[in-house]
Amino acid sequence: MKDAMEQKKISFPRYAEYNCAFKYIVEQALGCKYVMPPALTKRTMELGAKYSPEFVCTPFKTTLGNMIESLEAGADTLLMTHGLCRLGYYGELQEQILKDLGYKFDFINLSEYDMSKKKEYIRIVRRINPRVNPAKFLAEFMEGVRMVEYLDELTGEYYKNRGFDASGGDYDQAYREFLTAMYTARCRADVEEGYRAARRAMQAVPIEKPLRPLRVGLVGEFYTVMDAFSNLELERKLSGMGVEVHRWMNVTHQFLQYSGGQKNMHVKIEDLCRYEMGPTSTANIWYARECAERGFDGIIHIKSAACTPEIDVMPVLQNISADYKIPVLYLTYDAQTSDVGLMTRLEAFYDMIDMRKKVL
Amino acid sequence: MEEHRMVIGLPQGLLYYRYGALWQTFFNELGIETVLSGPTDRRIMDAGAALSIDEACLSLKIFLGHVAALAGRCDYVLVPRVSSFGRHRNMCTRFEALPDLTGNVFRGKGVKVLSYEVDVLSRKGEEAAFLSMAGGLGRSLREVHRAYRQAKKEDQARRKAAVRAEEQLYKSEGIKVLIAAHSYVVEDPYIGRAVTGYLKKSGVIPIRADVVDRDEALKWSQDISLTCKWEMSREIVGSVAMHEHKVDGIILLSAFPCGPDAMVNELISRRVRDVPMLNLVLDSQSGTAGVETRLESFVDIIRFKEGKL
Repeated sequence: MKDAMEQKKISFPRYAEYNCAFKYIVEQALGCKYVMPPALTKRTMELGAKYSPEFVCTPFKTTLGNMIESLEAGADTLLMTHGLCRLGYYGELQEQILKDLGYKFDFINLSEYDMSKKKEYIRIVRRINPRVNPAKFLAEFMEGVRMVEYLDELTGEYYKNRGFDASGGDYDQAYREFLTAMYTARCRADVEEGYRAARRAMQAVPIEKPLRPLRVGLVGEFYTVMDAFSNLELERKLSGMGVEVHRWMNVTHQFLQYSGGQKNMHVKIEDLCRYEMGPTSTANIWYARECAERGFDGIIHIKSAACTPEIDVMPVLQNISADYKIPVLYLTYDAQTSDVGLMTRLEAFYDMIDMRKKVL
Repeated sequence: MEEHRMVIGLPQGLLYYRYGALWQTFFNELGIETVLSGPTDRRIMDAGAALSIDEACLSLKIFLGHVAALAGRCDYVLVPRVSSFGRHRNMCTRFEALPDLTGNVFRGKGVKVLSYEVDVLSRKGEEAAFLSMAGGLGRSLREVHRAYRQAKKEDQARRKAAVRAEEQLYKSEGIKVLIAAHSYVVEDPYIGRAVTGYLKKSGVIPIRADVVDRDEALKWSQDISLTCKWEMSREIVGSVAMHEHKVDGIILLSAFPCGPDAMVNELISRRVRDVPMLNLVLDSQSGTAGVETRLESFVDIIRFKEGKL
């Protein structure tokens, strides 16, 4: 009982469906309580936009709004990550804004630590829970990472196929059950069994695809391209139109396999760019060209308003579009972007690539 | 046959205001001719805007306008990639993208980009970068080494003198206003000089926060912001911390929409409380009238506060 009183109540804002893994790591590996932030809603955006500087990128506003909601839900400790773009400065400014508003909480800002040093990770873990068991921590942390990998794998599969579900909804059902299993997992067996059951269930659903289905590749900014609320459920909308939706960008690919730096990916795009243009730029340019070379019908570039690295990638995408005669739709999301406006643009894009497919 | 002498074009935007003198001396020492794009004017700004993604910052638009002005006038346009000088000493990602961004915007338009890469976090220092760049132009290592040393020495001497002159201004009589802005904003003849020019005309002494002892300012910046990670923003923030009590007002001057400024200026205005402060954002539409009205009322506030109105 005493332990439960002393336990930190940690929260980290909503980010696509990764919060199940954050929860797992905080509770199983770190032995703290995770406060699941309320799902992102219009209220989140309104709160965030109200207290943020006007010209900051949209995820700053989204996460700030969601932090307020976490504090309302009882969190006493907030965590913010470091990052290579403006993300690396989110923490300090968000902490200041929240404290100016009068909230009381402990703030763990990874930008204050030198994340290139392993020692620092131990310091952070000890700060969160000084009595953590290192062996248990490592094992459960790795399980949390595996959860991220399963999530990315099945999410990728899901949006490639869900537009062609012949059963009338079983595929959606299987994916939803998978998410529930991940959000409620409390031990290794829960994660592994939840994943395997979902795989089996998804594979059992009859998928009927035309010989040459429309294929669209998504590239863009790390938060907005993945977070369904932030991109107004773009993947759901597109797949619902009967499109195979392909997205390379996810946590697994970017951090666990490609691990940030310029690796072998740059070889295939050397004629387009000599250097790393931004944190995710090499991957986005590489994948856009990959989609073009694989004969996809279109590319959609997704970013939040004022995202500097993604604005700078756009001239390169324009050149890829010209070289391969592949249409690119550029979508910018801010706190005001409306569902109706997006749908109109998506429908027009769909009609265009569909017509091209029939003619070409 | 007469030998063709190589000409390098220097676009007078962005990092020109930090490294222009260094570049010019360096190339001149090597006997390589340099050509400047000329001072920013409406034509350059409009040309740059037409070449840019709408959402890009005004400073990038101006920069691309300068590159366009150099097309056909040189063999190469110099656009370095400057990424970092150490931990929490990064540049805005735009400076990482700049050479490739320029290359892609001007593809097939007769502009060849010459570049060098400074990224200390990846163990790529400035001197090595200059050596490899000039080596690519067929210059001997020794020659380049000497030219770099010479250029660096002159640049440092020039900067020291500029800092000394700026420090004198804090001691002068009259109303002093600290301009916290990137060098390429405050010094740009078309956008920033309109602001400093107006202040001077109104009898106010504008002092540039960016002209400061850089090492000193980096240390001071932590007084205001612990995790500020942008080198140039830290110099300005540090300068604000060093000088906030020596001036009568501070103008946070920014070019729309500057990524780092959007956040750093917000933090400054939340943490530096006891000096009158004006947040002024310049865009390509803002005519001088709107800006002057705001400056005028800001100066009035300062005068009123000091009982001089």
